[in-house]
Amino acid sequence: MQDDVLLAVNNLTVRFDVSAPALKRLITRSPRRFVHAVEDVSFTVPRRSVFALVGESGCGKSTLARAVVGVERPTSGHVSLAGRRVSGFTTRAAERTWRSDVQMIFQDPQSSLNPRWRVGRSVAEPLRTHRMVAGRAEAVERVGALLEAVGLSSEDARRFPHQFSGGQRQRIAIARALSTRPALVVCDEPTSALDVSVQAQILNLMRRLQREFGLTYLLITHNFAVVAHMADHVGVMYLGRLVEQGPADVLLADPKHPYTRLLLDTVPDPARRGRAREPMKGEAPSPINPPVGCAFQQRCPLATARCAHERPVLRSAGRTAVACHAFEERRLPPWRTSIQPDLQSAEGSR
Amino acid sequence: MSGANAPVASVWWRSDLARSLATSPVALISALLACGLTIAALGADVLAPVNVFDPRQANIADARLPPGATGLFGDSYPLGTDPQGRDMLSAMLYGLRTSLLVGLSAVFVAAAIGVALGLICGYFGGLLDAVVMRVADVFLSFPPILIALLIDGVARTVLDRADHARIALPVVVIAIAASYWVQYARTVRTLTMIERKKDYVLAARVTGVGAGRILFTHILPNTLSPVLVIATVNLALAILTEATLSFLGVGIPPTQPSLGSLIRIGNEFLFSGDWWIAIFPGALLFVYALTVNLFGDWLRQALNPRLDR
Repeated sequence: MQDDVLLAVNNLTVRFDVSAPALKRLITRSPRRFVHAVEDVSFTVPRRSVFALVGESGCGKSTLARAVVGVERPTSGHVSLAGRRVSGFTTRAAERTWRSDVQMIFQDPQSSLNPRWRVGRSVAEPLRTHRMVAGRAEAVERVGALLEAVGLSSEDARRFPHQFSGGQRQRIAIARALSTRPALVVCDEPTSALDVSVQAQILNLMRRLQREFGLTYLLITHNFAVVAHMADHVGVMYLGRLVEQGPADVLLADPKHPYTRLLLDTVPDPARRGRAREPMKGEAPSPINPPVGCAFQQRCPLATARCAHERPVLRSAGRTAVACHAFEERRLPPWRTSIQPDLQSAEGSR
Repeated sequence: MSGANAPVASVWWRSDLARSLATSPVALISALLACGLTIAALGADVLAPVNVFDPRQANIADARLPPGATGLFGDSYPLGTDPQGRDMLSAMLYGLRTSLLVGLSAVFVAAAIGVALGLICGYFGGLLDAVVMRVADVFLSFPPILIALLIDGVARTVLDRADHARIALPVVVIAIAASYWVQYARTVRTLTMIERKKDYVLAARVTGVGAGRILFTHILPNTLSPVLVIATVNLALAILTEATLSFLGVGIPPTQPSLGSLIRIGNEFLFSGDWWIAIFPGALLFVYALTVNLFGDWLRQALNPRLDR
């Protein structure tokens, strides 16, 4: 693993104003309200590695992804790519380079392609936007090569999205994302809308393309099998904050945050059949009024009075970092000896 | 739709839409009739026996002749004559042309304004959206005729008589468009708000495609089929509104016959027993509005994927 940092996210905070209209606020005297989607998140992603962000729906991981690709404005903090700050571009040219360096793959292949465009036009869109092709012939040639790189044929460029299956459409979306030769590809749940049989194909394609194109992935997912299969580093998000992060193998083998443990416990595990499964208690609190103290306190089996009023900060714990009072106070019980089955199930689908 | 090997509809007459039209007799007859009448109206200069704009071709001695009568100098009038001695058939063809011109322009202006505002409001939202939509609410709360009367009334007061006669047509077009743009704006705004959240729009934004380009190349084509449907229905409504305005005497001046003004003139002679002056233009208006409406109705069903058989 090289230490050449490609993506750095520094104290990123994204809040959404969900206040009632000004007049209604005045009449009912209700305060302004904000959704704290992402709160003070920092991490770095080395070049040519895969960083996986894991968490429940609504924990802010998609918002984080959108902030990284620059369609969501950070409330504070910033994102930088190879040392260049993303927010507040100084010149139009700077924005152009950055826009071609970062691309995105989406969750739902049904909606990620314009239904009225032939797929060749969709794949060529980034190329034309960045004037990377001189003429029509060159565009056709480049699109054909891209489609072949993702396992389709160059003739497919003339067909419409509805003529393809979900997995094929995801391949087309990947071809589009690769058209500008980006350094970073943000993948927002790239396989969760696909059939299980197709998921592994797409993941393996992504791995192969990573090697061929020297890509760096920021992978948003809730699937630990995907994490085990793909990720070099993992960040676990809860209610907009990173609660644990570290190298994937270390973190999955010995998770130290109670939330990470809970998530891993929900993963079906054929090797430990008949075990007493701990059902996930309760729901995440509202990101509009995040609780004082630890956000996970209501659901945490180890919560104490301290957790209710003091927010734990991310502290180094060996090779990982974890934000938990119970861990700091050494109240954390040892983790079950084996989580390897998760890795095995991913291996099996290869 | 999701069939992976569905053939590409390469020629329009093999498309689903054409097949659906061929199997729906009502829609087919409506379409043919509407097309035929439109061609007849546009070709009024060639087809009409008499040019009604030329006073020398009208013979006052032949005024108010019943259908099928022969005039003083041997002219035959299959549908009779009007009080100025003009051939009714010719007057109706020219009248339909005026009505169509007004209707099409009004629909075009209304659609252009409505679609543009709908796209901008739906995509950007915010204060502009709030203001435009409140204005739209105001327009929606008045009946179209009232808005048209207001605009026409203002134009009459501001301009002197000669100027007004010259620009009567654009005034009527604007008056009608002003009352119909709201429908387009609302429809397109809602569709835009749905489309802009889709990933293909996000993909374009991530790539750095500008907002204007996204609106025109991505969102607009995906909102056009409902607009087309509203436009066909509105065409009939706009022609009727023009006829109403002309009937009330505030629309097109009598020197330029429109179906509405013909009916108004005919209305004065109904009690004298000269029924043809009002009934024939009325019947033409009725048939035209009905066929365009039926066609629009069919189009709405054919283009709605949720009603897909």
